[in-house]
Amino acid sequence: MATVPLGTHLHHYCRLEILKFNTDFKKSTHSLCYTNIRTSMLNNGAKSCHFRPSYDSRVLNTTVRASANISRSDTALLDASISDDVIFREIFPLQRIHKVEGKITIRLDCSNNEENWQLTVGCNLPGKWVLHWGVNYVNDIGSEWDQPPVDMRPSDSITIKDYAIETPLKKSSTKDEADTLYEVKIAFNTKSSIAAINFVLKDEETESWYQYRGRDFKVPLVNFSDENDNAVGNKQEFAVWPGQFSSMMIQSEDTYSEDENKNGNSKESEKSFYEEHPIVQETVVENSMDVYIKKCSKTSNYLVNIETDIPDDVIVHWGISKDDSKKWEIPSGPYPANTYLFKNKALRTQLQHKEGGNGCYGLFPLDEETAGFLFVLKLKDNTWINYMGSDFYIPIPKESEQDREVDEEDTAYTNEIINEIRHLVSGISSEANRKTKSKEAQETILQEIEKLAAEAYAIFRSSVQTSPEITEEVVDVESTVKISSATGSGFEILFQGFNWESNKSGKWYVELEEKVAELASLGFTVVWLPPPTESISPEGYMPRDLYNLNSRYGNADELKSLVKKFHKVGIRVLGDAVINHRCAHYQNQNGIWNIFGGLLNWDDRAVVGDDPHFQGRGNKSSGDNFHAAPNIDHSQEFVRKDLSEWLCWLRKEIGYDGWRLDFVRGFWGGYVKEYMEASEPYFSVGEYWDSLSYTYGEMDHNQDAHRQRIIDWINDANGTAGAFDVTTKGILHSAIERCEYWRLSDSKGKPPGVVGWWPSRAVTFIENHDTGSTQGHWRFPGGKEMQGYAYILTHPGTPTVFYDHIFSRYKSEISALISLRKRNKIQCRSTVRINKAERDVYAAIIDEKVAMKIGPGHYEPQSGSQKWSLAVQGNDYKVWEAS
Amino acid sequence: MFLTTQRGFCQSGSNNNKPMMIICATENKLHMGFSQMLKSSNFPVKVSSRYQSAASTKASRDPTISDHKEGVKLYVGLPLNSVSECHAINHSRAIAAGLRALKLLGVEGVELPIWWGVSEREAMGKYEWSGYLALVDMIQKSGLKLHVSLCFHACKEESIHLPKWVSEIGESKPDIFFADRSGTRYKDCLSFGVDNLPVFDGKTAIQVYQGFIESFKTFFSPFMGSTITGVTIGLGPDGELRYPSCHDRIKNSVDHGAGEFQCYDENMMSSLKENAENVGNPLGDFTAYGDFFLSWYSTQLVSHADRMLSLASSSFNDTTVKVTGKLPLVPSWYRSRSHPAEVTAGFYNTIYRNGYEEIAKIFCKNSCGMILPGVDMLDEQQPNEVFSSPELLLADIRDACRNHGVEVCGQNLNVASTIKNFEQIKQNLVGENGIELFLYQRMGSDFFSPENFPLFTAFVRSLNQVEVDLDDLGVNDGESVLLVPGKIRKLQAV
Repeated sequence: MATVPLGTHLHHYCRLEILKFNTDFKKSTHSLCYTNIRTSMLNNGAKSCHFRPSYDSRVLNTTVRASANISRSDTALLDASISDDVIFREIFPLQRIHKVEGKITIRLDCSNNEENWQLTVGCNLPGKWVLHWGVNYVNDIGSEWDQPPVDMRPSDSITIKDYAIETPLKKSSTKDEADTLYEVKIAFNTKSSIAAINFVLKDEETESWYQYRGRDFKVPLVNFSDENDNAVGNKQEFAVWPGQFSSMMIQSEDTYSEDENKNGNSKESEKSFYEEHPIVQETVVENSMDVYIKKCSKTSNYLVNIETDIPDDVIVHWGISKDDSKKWEIPSGPYPANTYLFKNKALRTQLQHKEGGNGCYGLFPLDEETAGFLFVLKLKDNTWINYMGSDFYIPIPKESEQDREVDEEDTAYTNEIINEIRHLVSGISSEANRKTKSKEAQETILQEIEKLAAEAYAIFRSSVQTSPEITEEVVDVESTVKISSATGSGFEILFQGFNWESNKSGKWYVELEEKVAELASLGFTVVWLPPPTESISPEGYMPRDLYNLNSRYGNADELKSLVKKFHKVGIRVLGDAVINHRCAHYQNQNGIWNIFGGLLNWDDRAVVGDDPHFQGRGNKSSGDNFHAAPNIDHSQEFVRKDLSEWLCWLRKEIGYDGWRLDFVRGFWGGYVKEYMEASEPYFSVGEYWDSLSYTYGEMDHNQDAHRQRIIDWINDANGTAGAFDVTTKGILHSAIERCEYWRLSDSKGKPPGVVGWWPSRAVTFIENHDTGSTQGHWRFPGGKEMQGYAYILTHPGTPTVFYDHIFSRYKSEISALISLRKRNKIQCRSTVRINKAERDVYAAIIDEKVAMKIGPGHYEPQSGSQKWSLAVQGNDYKVWEAS
Repeated sequence: MFLTTQRGFCQSGSNNNKPMMIICATENKLHMGFSQMLKSSNFPVKVSSRYQSAASTKASRDPTISDHKEGVKLYVGLPLNSVSECHAINHSRAIAAGLRALKLLGVEGVELPIWWGVSEREAMGKYEWSGYLALVDMIQKSGLKLHVSLCFHACKEESIHLPKWVSEIGESKPDIFFADRSGTRYKDCLSFGVDNLPVFDGKTAIQVYQGFIESFKTFFSPFMGSTITGVTIGLGPDGELRYPSCHDRIKNSVDHGAGEFQCYDENMMSSLKENAENVGNPLGDFTAYGDFFLSWYSTQLVSHADRMLSLASSSFNDTTVKVTGKLPLVPSWYRSRSHPAEVTAGFYNTIYRNGYEEIAKIFCKNSCGMILPGVDMLDEQQPNEVFSSPELLLADIRDACRNHGVEVCGQNLNVASTIKNFEQIKQNLVGENGIELFLYQRMGSDFFSPENFPLFTAFVRSLNQVEVDLDDLGVNDGESVLLVPGKIRKLQAV
């Protein structure tokens, strides 16, 4: 089955499948199928037999050309029902060429006496079929037709000049109702010295001629020499049809015939045959489509209305573009009824049938950011209607440039403009001599100037020196400290109490105990300890028996002692809870490790069902999969009950105050909420770590999507836990490594990480055991760690200091920053006023008490009501306090 | 053009200066007879040989420039902090987009402030031009011309300081800075008093400036005369020829106070003393002392201007670059008799005395153009209580320039303007008394804002009668490129 030319974006699926399609005039397959063994008569007489499943007549394809000859000027002609709020209207004539595949059947039968023969020509397509035919007589030389003898002509035949006869085909009475066959029977006698019957088929409705490979059909009745190559029922092809044909022609490439008398050895018996020739009937169907756009004055949304008189089911395959690029995008909802998403690339909406059945219509709401509406139509027979070979594109008219948002600032956009301008400039100059074009060119230039200006404006505005807008904190600022499981007191300073190597000695708990006093004096309020359970990997992140707290970091008693010691100096302790996955104790019958032991002796129902490696019987995972171990199915109630109990037990038994939750991408945040409510931690934080957005290897300025995913998780957890601010770490990387400090202000002049959107839930950090330490999966720019700490320790959010950094040459500097943070009562909800976010310097004032800058560039806080005194400084950073 | 040859001026100066001064002192402010008289008189107007040759060189090199002789050459200032103290280009993406927009708009070029405190930041004689070179390269590639402002001052708003080593010297020798009567120092530029004092490791301020200029010239020689068409030499606070009399004034607004005299640093005081001794004891007569003091005070300014302009003029003598210096526009109290704001700024310009004549004379002597800011200012927008008249003052200074054949270049004061201000600029620029060069200050978010930019666009288009000159967009005689009209957009026309 052929494909229909469509827009390139559609290519991938219009080849997908060949639909078996029955036309309205279906025929029973059986009616034509005398036998399923057919011999190719064209195969040099060889009796190569093969099966070919019988097929129904079917629509091959429809070539549609729509032209827009009615344009916006027609708006004046709108009928009353379409009111004056229509801002765009266009009527597209839709011309479909309906191709239907059918077949012509040719059958030669011999009667009992071997003298009387009958030729039957049939066609299974509807139409006013006429057989246009003539004969060759035995003693004729050449291929000219002659009129057949009178007794051979069926009664309703008419003569055409002196060489041909036309006989209409009649509906066959012998076939069952489901299928229709038109046929004509010509009886003749072998004694009439007719050598061959020639014919073509004509459909008088469409004035189309059907022939065989550009020639007549020829049915030889006596032995012909091999010169004649258009013989049907012989190895030869047909003779040339001399007449004029329309563009419609039969496409009978293959001839299947069947020798009824397989044992036949006489000449006569060889002549009996049956053949089918596939043909394609094309009919032109004229329809039209009316597209108009209304603007809703209340919501400033647009409503695209599509109406067509195509009677069949019509599916609009559509998308929107947000700029001039005509790039397909999926709009945000709401969608019309009967809409579904197609392969994440487009939407498909079935149009509703109009009352009375004459055509159908649909309404498509679009938001105001839409630049254009893109679509093609799909009919039920897998026919696509497009606009002159490409998609229909309805641009949404914008009333004035003032409406345009100007803060488009992504790099891709810039480059595009620059390229456009480049083309434009050369294009215009070559047009320079043509004065008629100059007006248009000027207009185009002015448009481009505006684009560029908007671009420049957006950038200049985003790096304003002093942002008058003070970050307002949504969360209530209360005078009394309120403890919440996500924020603790709000003044917490976190310490990661281990690195990737901490398991090596086997007595980490004991070693860390010696440092407790020092950590307290540095000013930490919370410590995060490594995963305490028995684990397949020494670092503890492949837990097996959750109730076995003997790990490579030490035994349960040492842990308890350590926790007690921390509590004594006022530091709360977080346990590293690895509950996304759990290693199994036993194999199932297939040898897969998915049966658990220990106190929590779950079976494979506790394992998610969509990870093929572990053959879980649980439900589909509610998050991403961690591939090295069976992922726990948190949707199972027994699992959640067990985990909640376990967390509570850890709280009580060990004395943990809260949790660092490992790999929370792996399961729904809603379950976290349940665990937090059950275990009532003082503080908890989840590790939601995925990749930031990069374009061509360069980190995007706008990481809103990335932080939004983290925010979404926190929201799912109902705010019961904070999350590590991976976004901030990533942006600090780029800012510091590439001297692009402008990245540290988002489009609204706020911090660009999670800390800019939900500071109280952002647990800021610059390094951990995975990103740094001996693993170094995503290491902070070397030697510039203090800039990172100058940022996170002065900014809102809950800052985390990594073990490796505190026990390094940075200790005193970090210590000074921590004291400054505490002295000035900077907390997770403090306000940030960004003073500078330029290429080489970022500066901000926090709570109007602390001023800071990082980067090599210059910055001095301006003395206004308060005087600033330099408090801490180091390599490319300075922090001031108001005095 | 209103340029006389130097000789021509000297002749006319010697013949006419004195009687003019008399007219001026007696009648000028009474009914503006002076300027009217000059307009009607056939004052000899000649084109200086130097400018003539410059113009003809340009004309032969680039015919499109000569096409502009009817119109104004418009330059748009780049952000003050375009190059950071660590020699990176700030907001380079925005500048790139801005340059393209300006080029398409048909603007002649851009103006770039080059800071002493950036390029000679670390140590005296240690110059670092990399950031500026990169930016100038960008400008050249954009096809725009460049007017450079050499800034020997600091800019508080943008945190651009004087060179570190200057500040360090200032700590031990505070008298390199201006001081007012109460001893408050103005540390954003050097006092005129050290122009010829070897306080910088044995070098005078002028020598230090000279070193900077020479280095600039050397490093930017590939661009000189081609991309770089003009240089403005910094003459004082904010680059303007004045005393920092109103140094706490808010940027881009006219201070309405009278300001303070700024001559209380040691060097200035000793100069005053010396001067007084030469003149005899003027202290007996209070009025006489006032005149003596004000003469001395304004002469210091004029002398400083002479030193700086002659330095610049001689430095760029072998190039086609146009050298300019900038005057302030101090319109407050202009309608009063004593013009106190102008006087404290160093312009002894009262109803009895034209203070701008001698300034113009110096500009003429050094063949320098004069940049006048505030051509956008309207009397009607001034507060009544300060007797301000920017329009009259501007006319006054321009008359002085015309008398001495000094070319006037315009500059605006406020970035985001109203239609009226643009109209005012246009009025000042066009006409028989036209201005050839206009520096529009300055690129940034206000400049590109939806409020200002459409006005600016319309302004530019109205200046260039030929709307957008297509030939300016670069010639490419290759195959025609299909123009794809963008979205339906309307330009906000005035």
